[in-house]
Amino acid sequence: MPQIDVHNLTKTFKVPEREGGVGAAMKSLFRRKQKEVHAVSDVSFSVAQGEIVGFLGPNGAGKTTTLKMLSGLLHPTSGSATVMDQVPWKRDATYLRRISMLMGQRSQLQWDLPATDSFYVHSAIYDIPKDQYQQTLDELVALLDIGGILKKQVRTMSLGERMKCEICVSLLHRPSVLFLDEPTIGVDITMQSRIRQFIGEYNRKHGATIILTSHYMADVVALCKRIIVIDHGRILFDGQLDALSEKLAPFKVIKIDLDRDVGAYDFAALGDVLVRESRKVELRVPRANAPGVAEQLLSQLPVQDLTIEDPPIEHVIEKAFGTKLEKAVDA
Amino acid sequence: MRRLARAVSALLRVEIATMLQYRGEIVLWSTWGLVNPLVLYAIFKAGAMSNDNHQMAGLTVPQIAAYYFTMMIVGHVTAAWDTHEMSWYIRTGRMSAMLLRPILPMWKSMAGNLAYKICTLAFVGPMWILVAFLIRPEFNATPKQFMLGLLAVVLAGLMNYFLTYVVALVAFWTTKLDAVGEIYFGLAMFVGGRLAPLDALPGPIRVVADVLPFKYMAAFPVEMLMGRITVEAEAFRGLMVQAAWLVASLILFRCLWAVALKRYTAVSG
Repeated sequence: MPQIDVHNLTKTFKVPEREGGVGAAMKSLFRRKQKEVHAVSDVSFSVAQGEIVGFLGPNGAGKTTTLKMLSGLLHPTSGSATVMDQVPWKRDATYLRRISMLMGQRSQLQWDLPATDSFYVHSAIYDIPKDQYQQTLDELVALLDIGGILKKQVRTMSLGERMKCEICVSLLHRPSVLFLDEPTIGVDITMQSRIRQFIGEYNRKHGATIILTSHYMADVVALCKRIIVIDHGRILFDGQLDALSEKLAPFKVIKIDLDRDVGAYDFAALGDVLVRESRKVELRVPRANAPGVAEQLLSQLPVQDLTIEDPPIEHVIEKAFGTKLEKAVDA
Repeated sequence: MRRLARAVSALLRVEIATMLQYRGEIVLWSTWGLVNPLVLYAIFKAGAMSNDNHQMAGLTVPQIAAYYFTMMIVGHVTAAWDTHEMSWYIRTGRMSAMLLRPILPMWKSMAGNLAYKICTLAFVGPMWILVAFLIRPEFNATPKQFMLGLLAVVLAGLMNYFLTYVVALVAFWTTKLDAVGEIYFGLAMFVGGRLAPLDALPGPIRVVADVLPFKYMAAFPVEMLMGRITVEAEAFRGLMVQAAWLVASLILFRCLWAVALKRYTAVSG
């Protein structure tokens, strides 16, 4: 039985639409045009308990709208979903106590007070027993390394500090299902890495089910084996990250360092030449040909070092957002 | 119930702490609550003094003082301002953060409302004493009338809070609510008796005021506390009308809240 089960979920918004300028503004006073925006169309997927799924797509793809429906913020236009056997948009208090949604910089923190005050209110609202609250707080404070900023007024915190406190407050009630919408947005690389590690540890320790959206591929690669690619409200791909890579980028990159310049050697006959310097070469070759090409290079050239790599996931995902994925999936 | 009490007491504690961060601002808001009735008192006193019988709308100068002095206190303790905040919560996405919690966002607003009144008491309390000393209000209420008047103030506070909140829910449809809020406050001032005692208004407007809830949130509790409502049946009728409006606003809240959540679009968050 999946922990998150979504069937044909659809959300359509009606948004006002008009041309720019005063004339159009006057006209809209009498006749207001509305346009239907299909934010999410017929989306179906399921997530098992303890799974971390990456939800990927460009801006406006429908990722956040889907998460908002699953967290009970939005009612769908049609379709159904259950999370832990409950219908999210019924907003039962028992359901809301078992989930958490972290929305980038949308704060659960009291802006004018130290973070500890927000933690205290959170513990009361979620009715966390005092000893459990203290134990969880100590654990989160240590893992997120926020001991030194707990007494700092939230509005004076740096973005990274605030994000860590935001994560802390979201997890105080030990949610079984986590919806993370851009959890590393706006923070530096070191902090991104720490937050990633922390999410992974939380998942392992508490068996939490996590759906994560992120524009940082490093988040996805580090945390998610499975990804769902969504664009224009429709699911384009649902499967293992490796499978997407194989489907969309059926080639490998061979990088070689040479002892000396090999002059007019015809690398183009072996594959696409990505880099050609006097002693450094990068070739893109079909996956199936990679071992043969590597063997040929090693036998014919004074190779100092050779590596065979998958193409960067950024390129794969970028490709996924284009039309090629549909073809790839259809194929 | 225990869960709710724990949550609301924590919210109240934190709202008080937040309020205390903005001491200057709450003093200024409280000052407006003092100045407004004092200006109106000065106008009505001048009007009364210009009349041969030194009365205005059937009130002597000390009774005018009592009316506006009591209105000052009732206005403060029954104040509600969700129409000003709701659209901001929705536009900035803060409503989404509140809706993720397993508690109605209304409880946070109610805690904020109580926190304001608790925090400002230290400032407005001495001011009320000073104002009473300066304008010498005259009260004729018996202890029983006074006690019923206090009950009327409590009901007026709850009525105003819930009705304001219900009006604030319009923000789920319109996103910007300032104009609706102004109409609500305008009506509360005019036909609620905050601007002038209702006896000073033309007959047809008094009929309208009787039908609308605003009178029961201001003029009615004020006149009860002053001892101007001497017929017991009239007092009980007023209290019953207050209770009826309160129940109606609660029912309206429940219905509108359910519909509002269905059409919530979670903009900006």
